[in-house]
Amino acid sequence: MAGYILKRLISAIPVLFGISIIVFVIMAMIPGDPATAILGSYATPENVEKLNRDLGLDKPMVRRYVIWLGNMLQGDFGRSFSLNRPVLDEVMDRFGATLVLAGTSFILCALLGIAAGVVSAARQYGWADKAITFAVLLGISIPSFFLGMMMILIFAVQLRWFPVSGMWPIYGARDLSALISHLTLPALALAVVATGVVARLSRAAMLEVLRQDFIRTARAKGVHERSVIWRHALRAAMVSIIPVLGVQAGFVLSGAVYIEMVFQWPGVGRMLVDAILKRDILLVQGGVVFVAACYVGFNIIVDVAQSLLDPRIKT
Amino acid sequence: MSAFFKLLARNRLALAGLIVMGAVVLLALLTPLLPLANPDVTDLGNRFKPPLSEGALLGTDHLGRDLLSRLMWGTRLSLAVGFAAAIIAATLGAAIGIIAGFYGGRTDNVIMRGVDMLMAFPYILLALAIVAALGPGLLNALIAVAAVNIPFFARNIRGITVGIAHKEFVDAARLCGMTDTRIIVGEVLPNVIPVIVIAMSTTVGWMILETAGLSFLGLGSQPPQADLGSMLGEARSALITNPHTSIVPGAMILVIVMAINLLGDGVRDALDPRLKSGALSRPMPTTRVERGAVPAPKRNALLSVQGLETQFHVKNRIYRAVGGVDLTVEPGECLGLIGESGSGKSVTALSIMGLVASPPGVITGGAVYYKGEDLIGAPYEQLRSLRGRRVAYIFQDPLATLHPLYTVGDQLIEAIRAHHPTPRAEARARAIELLKSVRIPNADQRIDSYPHEMSGGMRQRVGIAMALANDPEVIIADEPTTALDVTVQAQILSLLDDLRRDRGLAIIFITHDFGVVAQLCDRVAVMYAGRIVEEGPTKAILNRPAHPYTAKLMACVPELGQGRRELAAIPGLPPVVDALPQGCAFADRCHKVQDECRIGDIGLRDLPTGTRVRCIAPETTVSEAAL
Ligand code: SF4
Repeated sequence: MAGYILKRLISAIPVLFGISIIVFVIMAMIPGDPATAILGSYATPENVEKLNRDLGLDKPMVRRYVIWLGNMLQGDFGRSFSLNRPVLDEVMDRFGATLVLAGTSFILCALLGIAAGVVSAARQYGWADKAITFAVLLGISIPSFFLGMMMILIFAVQLRWFPVSGMWPIYGARDLSALISHLTLPALALAVVATGVVARLSRAAMLEVLRQDFIRTARAKGVHERSVIWRHALRAAMVSIIPVLGVQAGFVLSGAVYIEMVFQWPGVGRMLVDAILKRDILLVQGGVVFVAACYVGFNIIVDVAQSLLDPRIKT
Repeated sequence: MSAFFKLLARNRLALAGLIVMGAVVLLALLTPLLPLANPDVTDLGNRFKPPLSEGALLGTDHLGRDLLSRLMWGTRLSLAVGFAAAIIAATLGAAIGIIAGFYGGRTDNVIMRGVDMLMAFPYILLALAIVAALGPGLLNALIAVAAVNIPFFARNIRGITVGIAHKEFVDAARLCGMTDTRIIVGEVLPNVIPVIVIAMSTTVGWMILETAGLSFLGLGSQPPQADLGSMLGEARSALITNPHTSIVPGAMILVIVMAINLLGDGVRDALDPRLKSGALSRPMPTTRVERGAVPAPKRNALLSVQGLETQFHVKNRIYRAVGGVDLTVEPGECLGLIGESGSGKSVTALSIMGLVASPPGVITGGAVYYKGEDLIGAPYEQLRSLRGRRVAYIFQDPLATLHPLYTVGDQLIEAIRAHHPTPRAEARARAIELLKSVRIPNADQRIDSYPHEMSGGMRQRVGIAMALANDPEVIIADEPTTALDVTVQAQILSLLDDLRRDRGLAIIFITHDFGVVAQLCDRVAVMYAGRIVEEGPTKAILNRPAHPYTAKLMACVPELGQGRRELAAIPGLPPVVDALPQGCAFADRCHKVQDECRIGDIGLRDLPTGTRVRCIAPETTVSEAAL
């Protein structure tokens, strides 16, 4: 097992390189003089000269890439000029909030989506299946930012069950119950789309598995239908559901950008949008690389989970 | 193509999606011609007028602009941008995919590596990076969304192209000296276009949503120009005081995306052949029963099948897999059920405990009495408590019939605990004992193996151990040795024979192999086209097969225990079970066929040899049959 994890970690290295190259190439598309673009309104001749020196902006592309990569590997993601603090510090601070939001949503979408898919498959063509299928269709069609706004309107403004926005109360204790009440609406709004997708694919995976011979064997043994569905079929279906979860994690992370805007959540997504609008290029660049790297790491965890589930995968 | 549209039209939801989408597109196209207020004229005196106000059907926004007009123009813009992004992504993605798939090798490798890298990003990061570099704006948002979706198209199209690039007609074109470009345009492209269309129909909704999203964030369309996303974004600050300004554009996005999704699902279903055949139905816990009169139990046998009829209902065709079968077994007895594949022997066996996959299977008549208790139509819980405990199955091909992700020990323990709630440790000890009783060496280690780690023979022993777990009275073995080689087969047969003698098991042994029948069975029933055509003591039938079909079957079998024993040697094929002929089903293949054979139903008749046969001109001597 340790060997397998190591192998997956090593295989992630070229992917991380690829990511850094892609981000670098995209950022090189910025029209005009890079130093002036990065500095924007802070572009005094001294600043431009210093930045050119630090980042090697006046050097050829390949050299610039090597310098940039070298700096990042040493933990230096550059400085945000709009916030006047190191990019990495800001990204790390914000990423925690995003992780809370996206992590909760991810767990919600996995649990609810799989449960809905299993029930839907087990009751194929029954009323539960039809209701779930319809809810799924609605869920994957509604823009999460619109859903979030409607949730605010209904549950925060009208019913006053939850606060309108933010992660913490402005006054009062920053404890778990405060977090949960602030987290509920955004986490749900963010989870809806992914839940729909997971439910849909879980249903398909379950239907596929339920036709297999080993399900008939379980039934012939006299195993109760409940166990046939939730133990035998689901376990086998998980083999195709887990990769879907890995992909959905990316979608949840993406959707978090909208939800953070709607709910004023102090996460990395809102930071990125603000940074783009303020043309804080280094902050965008650092944020994108950092989050993408975390996502690669998450996918390794998914692969390891897959190999734990399926003994046929050679570890 | 017209068949495709018919299928699409039959799907009512997809049709609804098509109609809604058609209406929206039509309105968007007509927008410039409609008598609408100028969407960009502000009127600060008339801010936030509610819907249904005079002169503003949907009210006005925070700058007093007419919402209906803005909605129409915004929809037009959103659709245009979404479709443009889809077309750009599809074109570039398809081009990349075709090049990678067509040329293969290094080119393919390098391109697909790049595609994988792009897919390693959560899509929005890539889109944000592109917008950050190019600057906010609708065109840049469009570029970003299209770019983010290119890898998806490239990967799909490449897969299809790889398949096509190795087809004969492409090779032929190459040999004719056609250039690559001409082959791609002339041969490959026409074949991948349907795939591109499906991929587009399933993603265009996403692209509209994503561009609207970027505009919502303020990174797409810039004021005063507005698409649906930026309308929603601008309305956000007035969400609490004037929600209608948010609801109007938001609901529109929802309607558009939902209509596209319905349509996309319909297109996919119409093109997916698996769904067409209805094969994706899940089998229910027990076979569906729809029978009329129930035959009364004849005599007190351990297990007796009476007049069993099982059908498969697929769309509006009915396949009569089993057409009135009678069988009995007594304790310690082994009954062989023999016939070609498709003769209905497995379906008969699975019907006994309601294990025929349903849909499409339906039991339409007859009864199965276990100690006088009818199993057909028994409530689920009653059937379940008998399954494995009183009547157990051994299936063919244990690699497919054992769960691949549980150890054999877990599966044995589960079989035990399904009927006898015992502590796990105790059940495990019993499982090891079971494995020993089927002569698995090192049982206490093998118990923790997964099925894929065992040999075919060992797996089948596990299958037998599992059947024995609850000391059943009847074992139904469905071709348990077919997948095994001859030596292992002999071992398994002698194991079953010992178990029968030691434990007084009744065995129904399904096979297509007379050699196995001779070795193991006391009695044998021969099935053809869903019915028993001959039945009696094994010896009598082996010595004197009365039905021409039985005789042919036996003539096909080489010396016992030697080589492959297949039944392919009878000329002709059995009739298709949805088109059974009148009279004798074997008539078309029978060398003794007479005119009377094709009229009316032929019953089972008793012969002096103690066998019963369904034939009007039974064979009389073995030598005649062997001709
Ligand atoms: S009934 Fe006629 S056709 Fe059928 S097996 Fe007998 S002889 Fe042949």
